[in-house]
Amino acid sequence: MKNFKVLTSFLSVFALALFMGCDKDAESGTISLSFDHKVGTETLELENKAYQSLAGHPFYIYRLKYYVSEIELYQADGTSISFENIHYRDIADENTRMLDLGEIPAGDYNRLTFTFGLEEDINIDGGLPNTQTNVNMEWPIPGDQGYHYMKFEGKYDLNGTGELKNFNLHTGATGGNQNYVEISLPISAMNVDGNNLSLLLEMDLMEWLQNPNTYDFEEFGAMIMMNQNAQTILKENGQTVFSVADVISN
Amino acid sequence: MNRYNLLIIGIIMLCSLLACQKDKPINPSVDPPIEAPYSPTPYNLELPDNFLLPDIPADNPLTVEGVDLGKRLFYDPILSGDNTQSCATCHQQAFSFTDPDQFSLGIDGLRGTRNAMQITNIMWTQHLFWDGRAIGLEQQALEPVENPIEMHETWVNAIEELTANKDYPTLFYKAFGSKNITKELAAKAIAQFERILISKDTKYDKTIAAGSGLFFTDEELNGFDIFNTERGDCFHCHGSILFTDNSFHNNGLDSTFMDIGLAMISGKENDTGKFKTPTLRNIALTAPYMHDGRFQTLEEVIDFYSEGLQNSNTIDPLMKNVHKGGIQLTAAEKSDLLAFLHTLTDTTFTTNPEFSTPF
Repeated sequence: MKNFKVLTSFLSVFALALFMGCDKDAESGTISLSFDHKVGTETLELENKAYQSLAGHPFYIYRLKYYVSEIELYQADGTSISFENIHYRDIADENTRMLDLGEIPAGDYNRLTFTFGLEEDINIDGGLPNTQTNVNMEWPIPGDQGYHYMKFEGKYDLNGTGELKNFNLHTGATGGNQNYVEISLPISAMNVDGNNLSLLLEMDLMEWLQNPNTYDFEEFGAMIMMNQNAQTILKENGQTVFSVADVISN
Repeated sequence: MNRYNLLIIGIIMLCSLLACQKDKPINPSVDPPIEAPYSPTPYNLELPDNFLLPDIPADNPLTVEGVDLGKRLFYDPILSGDNTQSCATCHQQAFSFTDPDQFSLGIDGLRGTRNAMQITNIMWTQHLFWDGRAIGLEQQALEPVENPIEMHETWVNAIEELTANKDYPTLFYKAFGSKNITKELAAKAIAQFERILISKDTKYDKTIAAGSGLFFTDEELNGFDIFNTERGDCFHCHGSILFTDNSFHNNGLDSTFMDIGLAMISGKENDTGKFKTPTLRNIALTAPYMHDGRFQTLEEVIDFYSEGLQNSNTIDPLMKNVHKGGIQLTAAEKSDLLAFLHTLTDTTFTTNPEFSTPF
């Protein structure tokens, strides 16, 4: 009996040591994303500031609203964690800047992927809860369903004369083409070990208009919701609009 | 003293107490009957699946008693300075709770400069009035009572009258568990009634419902397409099942502004000429149109969007055809769009006895 007690004590200490050892190797952390914006090398300022498009038109930005979904973080060894969150960002609403994704397993992460817009299973009528925000993003065009992925609205100066015309870069599914954009971003030095991490994402709005395709407001006109050529260009340009500006660990 | 003695003393005391109460002279005309415990009945709000989720503040849940009280207050002229006008004077059910008068007449014979806003599916509206100056229905309901060109009463007076009334103290108790009537509770009750004013039985609603077996006419269907595509481009502001985005826009009515709208409240020059988007539900019943009621008919409104737009610095980016005066509809397209707008009329709503005067 005495031997048994000794054995039990020994095993307990051993198990505790093992447990602590494991714990030290595998402490999870938390992760949040923030969504900020710039225009080329300049800061984003609504309505009053003129930017110069590659197509040659000074332009002003009034509104930007969009959805991000299918968020996934990858470790160097290929394992990943995915999140159910669908995030709506409206630059007029500071409350939509941060997305708290909660707990994340320990490890070294080197890639973030997400969908700009909504994929087929969600992008249907009533696919999102009927909140005021979501219904305002509805895409009611007969025959097409779901939601706007992005509303990027402003005004452009047609001839540099001060005569302004309006533009609505609205993206979404049209004519059976889904048009969402799969984003894949490298992350450097993101180690999760009991820390709280924030990934600061930055959208460069100029990229929508110039890389790789030059987007001319005048060429496509103000309205592009049923124009797949314009949607295709924006889908291609959308590949490079995001970057990870910083990783903050607390 | 053992526990039995205590019990006996207790029973004696209780009997004495009861006896005292029994002996007390009762004057039924002075003492109100003993109240039933405060237990309001939750109001069962039935919404179709394609509607928005209910949007009700946690501190003012809908109850049957609250809605009943709110309806009574809404229709009772007791809240006006000379007891001649109620909320319903300018928000008439037959006109989807708005006023056919361009500028409503207040109790002193004065008129304002804006058309009375419609109270229809208002539950989902956070910023009330054409310029959005009230946040939430509870705040909004306080203003017209004291507005000198409207009901021109003071809340102090109104509360005195309500407190002296033979019915209201009991009704407030049933709704809120307190006979201490306050303007905040009155506004809460009115807000509760306004939240049940939901239009959901238009031809549009019935036709789009799955398996309805109903169809739009060719004209209505073409109007639907014009409305919901960038041909007419109505839906960006008047979209969704609410037919409003509940936001603020300068829709091109003027190039210079007598009434600066939202800018008066926000103090931002960029908000000049922006006004609240009204719902288009029951639009055929809510003439005259625009914040200042300048258009008498829907035909005039469609003509305005087709070829009457005025440019200005704060024109909304959604008004993409402003540089050519509008969307340039043909006569046939205008007539089809009008036909579609008539599918948004809900006479069930304008005749529902649940929304009608209790007096």
